[in-house]
Amino acid sequence: MKLALYFTFPYPSGETFNKFLNRTMPLNYEYVELGIPTEHPYYDGPVIRKTHGRAREEFSMELLKDTVQTIRETGKKAYALVYCNLFENDADGFMSSMKDAGFNGMILPDLLTDYYSMRRSIASTVSSHGLELIPFFNSTTPDSVIKEILSLTHSWIYFGLQPSTGIRVPLDIQSMYGRIRNLCGEREIIVGFGINNAGIIRDLRKVGFDGIAVGSALIDSMEKNDTVAFDSEIKMLESETHG
Amino acid sequence: MYKYNHFIPLSVYSVKNKDIIPDQWYNIIPDLPEPLSPPRDHDPERSSIDLLNRILPSEVLKQEFTSRRYENIPEEVLRQYEQAGRPTPLIRASNLEKFLNFAGKIFYKYEGATVTGSHKINAAIPQAYYAAQEGVTEIATETGAGQWGTATALSASLNGIKSKIFMVNVSFRQKPLRKRIIEIYGGDVVASPSSLTHYGRQILKNEPDHPGTLGIAISEAVQYTLDNGIRYLMGSVENSVITYQSIIGQEAQKQLEIEGEEPDVLIGCVGGGSNFSGFVFPFMKTDVEMIASAASEVPKFSKGKYRYDLIDTAGILPQLKMISLGADYVPPPIYSGGLRYHGAAPALSMLVNSGRIRTDEVTEEKSREAMQIFARTQGIVPAPESAHAIATAIDYCKNPENTGKTVVMNVSGHGLLDLSIFGD
Repeated sequence: MKLALYFTFPYPSGETFNKFLNRTMPLNYEYVELGIPTEHPYYDGPVIRKTHGRAREEFSMELLKDTVQTIRETGKKAYALVYCNLFENDADGFMSSMKDAGFNGMILPDLLTDYYSMRRSIASTVSSHGLELIPFFNSTTPDSVIKEILSLTHSWIYFGLQPSTGIRVPLDIQSMYGRIRNLCGEREIIVGFGINNAGIIRDLRKVGFDGIAVGSALIDSMEKNDTVAFDSEIKMLESETHG
Repeated sequence: MYKYNHFIPLSVYSVKNKDIIPDQWYNIIPDLPEPLSPPRDHDPERSSIDLLNRILPSEVLKQEFTSRRYENIPEEVLRQYEQAGRPTPLIRASNLEKFLNFAGKIFYKYEGATVTGSHKINAAIPQAYYAAQEGVTEIATETGAGQWGTATALSASLNGIKSKIFMVNVSFRQKPLRKRIIEIYGGDVVASPSSLTHYGRQILKNEPDHPGTLGIAISEAVQYTLDNGIRYLMGSVENSVITYQSIIGQEAQKQLEIEGEEPDVLIGCVGGGSNFSGFVFPFMKTDVEMIASAASEVPKFSKGKYRYDLIDTAGILPQLKMISLGADYVPPPIYSGGLRYHGAAPALSMLVNSGRIRTDEVTEEKSREAMQIFARTQGIVPAPESAHAIATAIDYCKNPENTGKTVVMNVSGHGLLDLSIFGD
C-alpha cells in the first residue's frame, strides 16, 4: 500500500518544517503533498485550516524550490495541493511557477466544486506545463463527472473519504470503495481525510484502496516540536503501509 | 372502475401496498450533473461537520454523506410506513380538469393521506427508528407550520422515545390545533424563541414578542440537543432527508407506470425542498419538466442568491451552498409556515441554478384561491403550502401551450388544521 504525507508549506516555520520533512526522507513512502497556503482553505478541517495562516507568513518560492528538490532527490514524487483561488487570475503563470519549483503534479481540492465550470481549461493548463492533474473525488462527486475527469487525466486518484480533513463521521467504507473502484478501474486510488490510526489503515487496505494520504495526524507533533511523537507516527504509517 | 370514480386511489384495486412502496430509498447525489459543493465550516476554530456526530443519529449521518445510489429501507421502517398510510394514492383530478376545461390530464400524489396529514412522516420515521436503535431516549426538532413537529412526535412515540418540538412562535400562535395534535401524539412542544436555550433567551431579551423563524427554531433544537446529549431530527434541506422523501417519487413512478401514463410536468411546492425533491428526483433521468413553486412573500427563487449560507441562524450547523435569502432573513408571517425557510436544499438549488428545474412564486392570496378550487372540485382541502403547487399547476393548465399535457403535482399535505387561513 502506498503512502502520501501532507504538509502545509512551510508550517510552523521554514526551519521547523525542513527539520520534520527531513526526518521522513529516509523512510519508505511514495508521495509528498505540499499544501500551498491560502487565506480560505474551505474544505479543510480546523487542524489544517489553522496551519495556513502561519504558513502564509513564512512562505517563499525559494524555500519551496529547495524543498521540492530535496523531495525529488529521494525518488519520491512531489505534488502541490492548491486551492484554485490562488491562481484564478493567472493559471498559466501559476502552473509555470509550480513546474519551475519541480512539482510532479497538482491536486486541486476545489476544482470540481467552486471552479467546476473552468475544469476543462484548468486541466488543460496544468497538462500544458507538463504537470499531472490528480483527480480529486469524494463520495458526492457524481458518476458522470468522475468519468469525464478520468478521461482528461492519466494519474493516480485522490479520494477524500470524509467531508473534510481531520474529522471522522461514520462511513460505509466498503460501499464507497466499491463505487469508486468500479468507476476508476485499474487506476491507483489513494484515500485521504480522517485517517489517524492503524485500525483505519488496515480497514482501508482490506477493502482494496491502493494507498493512504495523511496530514492532520502529523500537525500536532510538528507544532509542539515533538520529534519523538512525530517519528512514532510516521513509523507507524510506514509500517502499516509498507511493513 | 377508476375511470368512473376518480376520488378512489388508482392503485387500490389490483395492486398490493408492497408492490407500490419501494424497498430502497433513492439518493440523487451520484446522478447529479455537477458535483454538489460540500458543507463548509462557519467558525474557523472548530468543525461544525464533526459536531454532527453529537447531533444526528449515527446511521442518519452515514446516509448524509453516502455515495450509495440506493439505500435499503429497514423492514421495521417499511412496516411503520405502511401503518402511517403508505403508499399514498395517486389520484386523477378529473373534476379539476373539467373545472379548468383542460384537455390534458391532471394527477396528484396525495401525501395528505398519511396519518399525520403530510409527507413529513416519510423522513421522521426512519430518523426516529435509527435514533431508537442507537439507544437514544429523546429527540428534538423544530417545526414551522407544525407538520414536521406532528410527524416527529408520532414517529418518536412509534419508536418508544420522547420528543421536544420547537415550534416557530408565529405558527404556535396561529395554529393551536397543531400544538394540540403534537401533544396528543406525545410530543412536548414549545414556542420558539424559547427560554429553554441560551440562544432563545438572548432573542427574547431583545424582542420578547419575536415571531420566530425556522432558522431560529433549528438553532434552538440543535442547541437543546447538544445541551442534553440527545439527538436531533432534520425536517428538510439535508440530503439524507431528501433521500428518505424519495419514497414519494418512487411510488408515483410505479403508480403512473401501472396506469400507463408518462408525465409531461411535475409540480410541487418548496419550503426547504424536501417534498418537492423527494417527488421529482426519482424522475430526474427522464426529460420531464419540473416546476418548483414557492411563496411570493418568501421570494427565494427570484431574490435569493446561490451561495454558501447557514442552515440555522445561530451558525451551529455547517454552511451549505444553496439558494438563500440569508440566514438572518425574517419572513413575513404568512400562513404557509412550511414555506418560510430562507434557503432550499443544496441539490435542488443546484438544479434550479442550472435551469433543469423551473420555478414559480405564488402569493398567499392566490394559494388561498387554489385551496378553495381544489376543495370544491376534488373534495380535499390542501395544506396552504401544497396550494402553492396547485396554483402553479392551474396556471400551467390555463396556458394554451400546455394543452393535452399530463400534469402530475404533489399535494404534500391536507389543510384541515389550517382552516383559519380563511378567517375566524
